[in-house]
Amino acid sequence: MKNILLLFGIRLRLIFKYFTPGEHRLPRISFFIILLLFLSGGYYTFFRIFKYLITVEIIGPAIMTRTLEMVLFVFFIMLLFSNIISSFSTFYNNQELNFLFALPVLPTTIYLAKLFENALYASWATMAMAIPLFLAYGVCNKAVFIFYPISFISFLIFLIIPAGISSIIIFIIVRLFPKLKPKNIIFTALVVILLLIVLYIKIGNPGLLRIFETENEKELLQFAANLTTVGGIYVPSTWVSNILKNFVEVNTQGLFYLLLLLSVALSVIVIAYNFARVIYHKSFLQIAEHTSKTDTKKSALANYQTSPTYAFLWKDILLFVREPTQWVQLAIFIILLIVYIFSLRRTPIFFSFSLWNIIISFANFAYVSFVIATLGVRFIFPAISQEKKGIWIIVSSPFTLTKMIMIKYLFYVIIGITIMECLLIVANLFIKTAPVIFYFALLIGLFVATSLISINLGMGCIFPQFNEDNPSKIASGSGGIIAALTSITYIAVVIIIFASPVRNYLLSWYFKKPVNISLVTVCSVVFVILNFATIYLPVKLGIRATKKRDF
Amino acid sequence: MNSLVISNLSKRFNNIWAVKNLSLELKKGEIFVLLGPNGAGKTTTLKLIAGLLHPDTGCVSINGIDIKKDPVKYKSLLGYVPDEPFIYNKLTGREFINFVAGIFGVKKEEYERSLPELFKRFEIGDWIDAFAETYSHGMKQKVIMCQLLIHNPMFILIDEPLVGLDPKISKNVRVTFTELSNNGKTLFVSTHTLSLAQQIAHRIGIINNGEIRFVGTPEELANIAGRKDIEEIYLKLTEQS
Repeated sequence: MKNILLLFGIRLRLIFKYFTPGEHRLPRISFFIILLLFLSGGYYTFFRIFKYLITVEIIGPAIMTRTLEMVLFVFFIMLLFSNIISSFSTFYNNQELNFLFALPVLPTTIYLAKLFENALYASWATMAMAIPLFLAYGVCNKAVFIFYPISFISFLIFLIIPAGISSIIIFIIVRLFPKLKPKNIIFTALVVILLLIVLYIKIGNPGLLRIFETENEKELLQFAANLTTVGGIYVPSTWVSNILKNFVEVNTQGLFYLLLLLSVALSVIVIAYNFARVIYHKSFLQIAEHTSKTDTKKSALANYQTSPTYAFLWKDILLFVREPTQWVQLAIFIILLIVYIFSLRRTPIFFSFSLWNIIISFANFAYVSFVIATLGVRFIFPAISQEKKGIWIIVSSPFTLTKMIMIKYLFYVIIGITIMECLLIVANLFIKTAPVIFYFALLIGLFVATSLISINLGMGCIFPQFNEDNPSKIASGSGGIIAALTSITYIAVVIIIFASPVRNYLLSWYFKKPVNISLVTVCSVVFVILNFATIYLPVKLGIRATKKRDF
Repeated sequence: MNSLVISNLSKRFNNIWAVKNLSLELKKGEIFVLLGPNGAGKTTTLKLIAGLLHPDTGCVSINGIDIKKDPVKYKSLLGYVPDEPFIYNKLTGREFINFVAGIFGVKKEEYERSLPELFKRFEIGDWIDAFAETYSHGMKQKVIMCQLLIHNPMFILIDEPLVGLDPKISKNVRVTFTELSNNGKTLFVSTHTLSLAQQIAHRIGIINNGEIRFVGTPEELANIAGRKDIEEIYLKLTEQS
């Protein structure tokens, strides 16, 4: 136990340092201010939603419970995915492990220390979302004091379960297929998780994804009454939800679910511990043996390069496609996007009415912008840090830092715009958006994609982490959080700017009046000014920060 | 014309002077070896010359080109080998060398002539097409030496060139340095290996606590201290502070 705490303690100190950029006082303070703003914003949003739902008779509290269940269920799935993605690099593909395995400590000790580390890395973002959710739920339901520490503790226990399950899946795959390459191990593990989730939804039929359409009040109330009992009883997220529900007024059922959650978490740890005891060290050596074998590769970069730009681009492309954590995450993201886009084909019939059609296309635009922002934080923010310690090659060569940043910028802008426009075109075709809104969305999309790329690349230049190998960890660091929140703020401002013209368009359609052109013009001008700043400034500041940096 | 001119170069980290008022001039074809204990300021000096660090005061120029005034031209004349031989793990040695050749804009004829010669000189063999993540420290050092020479720099900066190399390749490196010097290239080498300094240096510099304690030929160094063993002289000069 002492050794586990020692190993985990060292990592915890490093993590704390990593989350608080200490080079300058300003980023540290700004990081905490932004985090506080994020938590307050999250709390306010959940508070408003719950407060409203409480006032809606019968169906309101039921929807509130269902929302909580759904959010926790989504958290659970997100945690499974994020733990799987980070587990392989934490348990196997990590330079620190060579040192740790040479120490006089048991492999199980290393495993447990790494398990907590992995859980922490993979779960902190979910934790940041859960805290305001629980607080708002407690406040709106006038919960007793004990509710708050209990909800926090039960969520911490909850986090251990996906971390343990992910490590077991990785161990089994490595044991069953010892010759599998790292990228295939991660991919197989993700497929296993995906199959388990699909299987659960199909067989378990938790009812979380059921949509109920009726105009009959009696049926609706019946449905609402059933909502409180709907949910997968075998899923830890449901237990957490039941703990929260029952601890609002300290109920023995809450204690039952807390004990159930605790016993399952402990069981998962015991099972994972035993897997680690039998498999971990052996499989670690197997993996090390495979990677030490000569695996020759030929690529475009293996031939003479005609220009510095090509050489640099090829290097970036090769490093991306050869890094499993990068393309596997991108692949999952694209699959989820395809599912989303095709789900738009099955939207209910009333969406085809013009009123809903305009609202849905506007919401879709916001969603697509959010997708680009997420891609930006995950893949573009770490782009500069991904030069790693090799940045010396660029800095000591005639290839200037400005050129490096601008090549990355243009490359990502092309990709970002392509993804954004493709998503908008396909989604709007499925929604059957009116031509005016359709073309307007495409035009606005060009600016939004370029701005989001600029924000994330610029922030990546200002807050680089050249010593971190894992791009996911770079994206989830303090700089990544600032980039994410800036991107979200930008999208919110864009939505606010266009909310009035869209409303005006809706009213003009409804009352058969002409559109207020001056309002559209003013909003468009404000939008262009905003985008001039968001496209130009982040990259400009990023270049300046990089040039000023000592390497 | 002097190949390298350093005037009053200083760099401070958190109120500690890593390099203080360093002034130095190197002639074309000269091999200058900088010696000093750990933390003396050797790597900082090299990084300042390579443009990886911004000096607090002073300036550096190669062949009369100031790094601040024309950094692109300055760096096109420079070849640098850091103390840690970093190569992107997911690139092969060949890809890495081609990447460097690409960003330095090496001409095709020169590239095709030099590459096989370098592979032979450093005995890289089939490893050149394996991922760098499988390389030993020595293999990485060999690839780094190849990337240095592929773009034929006029001025070469090397931090700890012999770390991880076997005796045969170490000898090849020493011979290569002498050949480069004979071909008019200027070399600025930082090392702990005193024997290397004795064997290749035209002039030796000893740095401690960020300040140059001595600059002169190996013979001058021996005369000043009244001893013949460079190790004893080195220890004496670095002890004084």
